[in-house]
Amino acid sequence: MNNLTLPALVSLLFFPGGLFLLAGGLVYEYIDRKLVARFQNRIGPRWFQPLADVIKLLAKEEIVPNGVHKGLFIALPVIGLASTLTAALYVPMVGFAPAFSFRGDLIVVLYLLSVMTLCLGLAGANTADRFSLVGATRTLTQLFSYEAPFLLALLGPAIVARTWQIGEINLYAQNNLWFVVMQPIGFLVALVGLMGKLELPPFDAPEAETEIVAGPLTEYSGRGLALFRIGKNVELVIGLTLVAAFYLGGIANPLDFLWKTLVLLLVTAALQSLFARLRIDQTVGLWWRAGALLALLQLVAIIVGQMIRPLIFGG
Amino acid sequence: MDAQQIGKGKFVVPIGPQHPALKEPGHFEFTVDGEIVTGASVRLGYVHRGIEKGAENRNYTQAMYLMERVCGICSHVHATAFALGTEKLAGITAPPRAQAIRSLVGELERIHSHLLWLGVAAHEGGFDTLFMYSWRDREVVMDLLEGLTGNRVNYSVNVIGGVKVDVDDAQRDAILKGVDFLEERTHHYIKIITTDETLLGRTVGVGVMTKEQAIELGAIGPTGRASGLERDVRVDAPYAGYKDFPVRLVTDEAGDLQARFVVRMKELLESYRLIREILDHLPTGDLTVRAPRRIPAGETVSRVEAPRGELFYYIKSNGTDMPERVKIRTPSLCNWASVINLAPGYKLADMPMILSGIDPCFSCNDRLIKVNDRSVSQVWTWEDLRQHGIEYYR
Repeated sequence: MNNLTLPALVSLLFFPGGLFLLAGGLVYEYIDRKLVARFQNRIGPRWFQPLADVIKLLAKEEIVPNGVHKGLFIALPVIGLASTLTAALYVPMVGFAPAFSFRGDLIVVLYLLSVMTLCLGLAGANTADRFSLVGATRTLTQLFSYEAPFLLALLGPAIVARTWQIGEINLYAQNNLWFVVMQPIGFLVALVGLMGKLELPPFDAPEAETEIVAGPLTEYSGRGLALFRIGKNVELVIGLTLVAAFYLGGIANPLDFLWKTLVLLLVTAALQSLFARLRIDQTVGLWWRAGALLALLQLVAIIVGQMIRPLIFGG
Repeated sequence: MDAQQIGKGKFVVPIGPQHPALKEPGHFEFTVDGEIVTGASVRLGYVHRGIEKGAENRNYTQAMYLMERVCGICSHVHATAFALGTEKLAGITAPPRAQAIRSLVGELERIHSHLLWLGVAAHEGGFDTLFMYSWRDREVVMDLLEGLTGNRVNYSVNVIGGVKVDVDDAQRDAILKGVDFLEERTHHYIKIITTDETLLGRTVGVGVMTKEQAIELGAIGPTGRASGLERDVRVDAPYAGYKDFPVRLVTDEAGDLQARFVVRMKELLESYRLIREILDHLPTGDLTVRAPRRIPAGETVSRVEAPRGELFYYIKSNGTDMPERVKIRTPSLCNWASVINLAPGYKLADMPMILSGIDPCFSCNDRLIKVNDRSVSQVWTWEDLRQHGIEYYR
């Protein structure tokens, strides 16, 4: 089964980059919030609430506090959002073939997604606010802890598929046994790693409101805050798409995309409401003691499996 | 410790007066080295309301309503303490049925307060699901209180010389049914706080206070009892209905945050037992005795066990129908020392939980403070203060 293709300009501005992702991010934010609310026995937001939030924020004055580098303060949200939107171009969004593709684009996408977190960290470190500084330290600490296991977890399917091109891995996944069955540990690490990347509970120490208000974003208001929030939402959609494409048998068509990412979202929402917040030292400990080791174990298992396979099947 | 001294040249994280972790205004400064807290200070006085002064211009009946509004969560114990003290001065005793109903409502109030605290503490630890669930279940006891007294908070049960609500059979059945449900839920919560890995990671070994420290720092209530301190006014000096319905003391030896969770949850089970016992053996008879309008001159101390610990009332009467002086010392005030002294050495992330571990109630314990500026010293008269207030808000 082959994926469809789109003209370049359309894919940049409307679909799957640009407008579509912005809207999709809001829809996924709504579903996430609603699911968590229902799990917590609350009613949750109405369907247009994320959009209303963004419109409200965009309409408000953006306050640039004293003691910040003004250029950075304004540019960081834009860079963060731009990098996540760019990452979307290499991902099989909604079951269409990636708009652009080259050998090794998996690494580029992972780093484009990390740019968002880096921007958050820098935005926090840029201001003189103490909550922001603590939040920035935590954001960057967390970045260093989940990044390696997450990368290793996405590498598993890549090694088996013998390509580092997301589109190719997606095709391989469609035509073979689901990777979630073949590499269950990798799937777990990837999903939990995604939650760490998005700073969802219980990995929300960088923005723990009862300790450091809003973490790195404490000083942001109006447009900057809106852009960061949209960026996070877009990252959520891309992250879910990546994990679904790699581990849940690839994404062949829009319907495939919808049900697979929504199932993943359901699982992450359940995980979000199950636990108390981890302290930052607990997060780091969890990732390096459990996450990284598990991911390595999975990697070794894959490599050994690759070596044994020709011997058994005579391939 | 002094806020200005510890703040010099160090990285200070301020919490409050306005901060998402605090539901009421208070100011805390934590000196941190990375994530580790090295010093802590507290400053109160943002919500002083002058209730003690206000009581001096009202007669005893009016003052009762005022006292009930000292605290929104434990309003009933305040009124009970005031009523018991005034009755002692007047030389009267409320009838047994009234005393039992005072204890009954007191225990219902303890249930609502402890469940509220469970939610707040869980929220401080980022466990919002437990927060939402415990507050949902708290609605049951709020409804019971409303059914019994007509109000969800500020029940206004006490009058001087007795109580003004009675328990009929329908209410009795409703309370028993509600208590059964809550007991089942409480067992569930005890299971969560003793087995949930992430919550254990945040509570076990955090904010440890030994029994010696608890005595030295003057910790009271569940905070002290979680450190093995066997102190409970209901047991030590039974008042109201607790003489006829004795309370079993709940303590824990661990002294950490988890022990504070466990002690409060086990106190809930004890409250359920007490409520059943009171309802089963409710004395018959009058609800009130006649109280004099003018209270004979004298002074007295009245102590009751609020959900947060010992509540202390000093009442002085000058023979008129208005109290000469009412002094209130709420339990939260006694527990601040434990927070400030326990905080150093733990992580910044633990601070909201250690803070909420004592179940602080800010506005009740707030008092007039002197602003910490050594260079200027001034004495203001009442008229000066009044003028300042008018100018300030102009």
